[in-house]
Amino acid sequence: MRIKACSRKAFSLAVTMLIVNVVSVAQSDDSIWSGVFTAQQAVRGAADYSTNCASCHSVDLRGNSNTPSLLGMSFMFIWEGRSLGELYTKMRDEMPSDRPGSLSTQSYEDMLAYLLQSNQFPAGEKELKASAGMLDRISITSKPLTDSICCRLDID
Amino acid sequence: MKTKIENCLAVALLVGSTAVAAQISDYQSVTEELLRSPSSGDWLSWRGTQAGWGYSALDQINSENVGQLQLIWSWAMDDTGAGEAAPLIHDGVMFLPGPRGVIQALNAANGDLIWEYRPGITPTIEGSNAVALGPDQLGTAAMPTTAFAGVGRGVQKNIAIFGDMIYAATENASIRAIDARSGLLVWETPVADPALGYYYTAGPIVANGTLVTGINGCERYKDDVCFITGHDPLTGEERWRTDTVARPGTPGGDTWGDLPLRFRAGSDAWIAGSYDPEANLVYWGTAQAKPWARAVRGTSGDALYTNSTLALNPDTGEMVWYYQHLPGETHDMDEVFETVLVDVDGRQSLFKMGKLAILWQLDRISGEIIKATDVGYQTIVNVNPVTGAITYRDGLLPRIGEQIDMCPSTSGFKSWRAMAYSPQTSAMYIPITLNCELATFGPTEQVLGGGGTGPVRRINYPHPQSNGNLGELLVLDIPSGEVKWRYRSRAPINTAALTTAGGLVFFGDWDRRMFALDAENGDILWQTRVTTSAQGFPISYMVDGRQFIALPAATGGASWSSMLPRDLAPELVRPRNGNSMHVFALPAP
Repeated sequence: MRIKACSRKAFSLAVTMLIVNVVSVAQSDDSIWSGVFTAQQAVRGAADYSTNCASCHSVDLRGNSNTPSLLGMSFMFIWEGRSLGELYTKMRDEMPSDRPGSLSTQSYEDMLAYLLQSNQFPAGEKELKASAGMLDRISITSKPLTDSICCRLDID
Repeated sequence: MKTKIENCLAVALLVGSTAVAAQISDYQSVTEELLRSPSSGDWLSWRGTQAGWGYSALDQINSENVGQLQLIWSWAMDDTGAGEAAPLIHDGVMFLPGPRGVIQALNAANGDLIWEYRPGITPTIEGSNAVALGPDQLGTAAMPTTAFAGVGRGVQKNIAIFGDMIYAATENASIRAIDARSGLLVWETPVADPALGYYYTAGPIVANGTLVTGINGCERYKDDVCFITGHDPLTGEERWRTDTVARPGTPGGDTWGDLPLRFRAGSDAWIAGSYDPEANLVYWGTAQAKPWARAVRGTSGDALYTNSTLALNPDTGEMVWYYQHLPGETHDMDEVFETVLVDVDGRQSLFKMGKLAILWQLDRISGEIIKATDVGYQTIVNVNPVTGAITYRDGLLPRIGEQIDMCPSTSGFKSWRAMAYSPQTSAMYIPITLNCELATFGPTEQVLGGGGTGPVRRINYPHPQSNGNLGELLVLDIPSGEVKWRYRSRAPINTAALTTAGGLVFFGDWDRRMFALDAENGDILWQTRVTTSAQGFPISYMVDGRQFIALPAATGGASWSSMLPRDLAPELVRPRNGNSMHVFALPAP
């Protein structure tokens, strides 16, 4: 097997992600792959992101020298295996960094939806809501390896 | 200083504000000679003089009377982004850089507004065909000027003054010249494509008639590298461009292994340099390579010319010498910061300190190391004090996905809060923040547009020697490097330091306090509390025989200004906004 554009370490990381994914999905009723936000919500989130986040994390979410990338491998390295509730709480309690908690609940929910959409998680029929601890039950897990955004694999 | 109120109705209508109605009628052009030997009442370079001391020769306010300081005026600045203002003073006028390109000229004695420049709003000067850049030129970097700009875009640390103009480098990777008398735009020159991530947070300096400016935002993978440029001050025309990254096939190119050009990122030049007119050399720092960790960026080579001090000929951009402080740096330990030019025992030296709190003394003519003084707080490298050579300590080279325990954290001990030198005490006054981190470096995609710093899972924790304090003003004797005294506080020291001939050192902290300490022994002689965190570059100046101390307060900015206080001193709270300038003097006689 030949691996392109993906280091051996990253590959093994991806394999680990796959395993974690299988386990997590088996344990959770609410899979992040079942569509936990709506496309319309992500559109609203994109607008709010542009106003409130893009100056630090960049318009393409890849960050700058002071802020982490919110996309792909970088995002998954930080958030793999953690819950959407934890991510939502971090956004609400710490972001934007100089006026944390200053946005509406809907704005944080919408921007989380946009973040998920940007990381290739599928949209669904129901809007993402932070209420009732729902987000705590949804684990952030990677895609099956064959679809992974992290690596392009050529199998000889 | 006099200002002439003119009937500028037409201008006011264009600007949409009646505030811009005055000009500086008696403005005196700033010559090369004046920049070299400014009046002690002026503050013509971002750190006072071209040598970068952060020192005022004024002594009306001194250790005997500083306790009587009173607030004379204050000024609210825009809250549309991080405030890290380094104001200038010329003939009683303060030129104050705000976030997002705003510059205001204020009567430095009483705070009255004379003019203000607002990007995209203030018109061009009559006779100029300059066009302010619009969304077409800025691409995806165009942001509404009313939007909050935060950590990255919008920071405008220093500006420059020369001839009849004020010079600024913008969040959109352009350089602009503003008429010093009126605040109207004279020219604006795009330098790089902001859509590729390029932007400025530090402004130009003027060296031998050339505007020299260092770019920021070089962490993305792209078919270009980071650079410093020299421009014609009259026209904005680019005279030279010097890469801060060695390209493949050029001298030093092999220090990046076999990485192609597009994967050679970092070496941002995000702090303005200093200038020695006798040597005709500009000294400019460069940042670390990106992604931060060797294992992530794919080379264990030295990665020239990252984390170096560069000596450039300002006429040609020729790199006369370089000194790389941390070859192949791998923990986000930036060495980009200010360069302080001090002659020691007849030897023309420069001093620098990076995130590791190692004080470097170099011969500024030859670039040779003279001395490296490790303050002893860092746990990452061993440094040879004579040769300056560093070796990484066992187990401290990051591997992807494996946690390491390191001091400082990726925020560093030292940051942009510049140190000041006092010739009275022969000491360097250095704002640092004490902190450590459990750090796990992660991978990043090696694709165009990707790269960046690479992710880090970070857990900040207090430094074992800090006794719970984050802030320290570290005072080192020059040239011995011995600790003269330390001032510590729970809150980070959040401004640059200012030393004065009155035997004082001024600075402020994250917890809204501003201080004057006895420069000799660290006794607190005066303090006050302001609207929000002290943040920016304090200065001193004189108008009509009265000395003033100007201390900026602000929010925004990375690391020390947000994450570290939140994680390690959560009981400290400050307002979310409050960018402002606070000016003090002794009571009027």
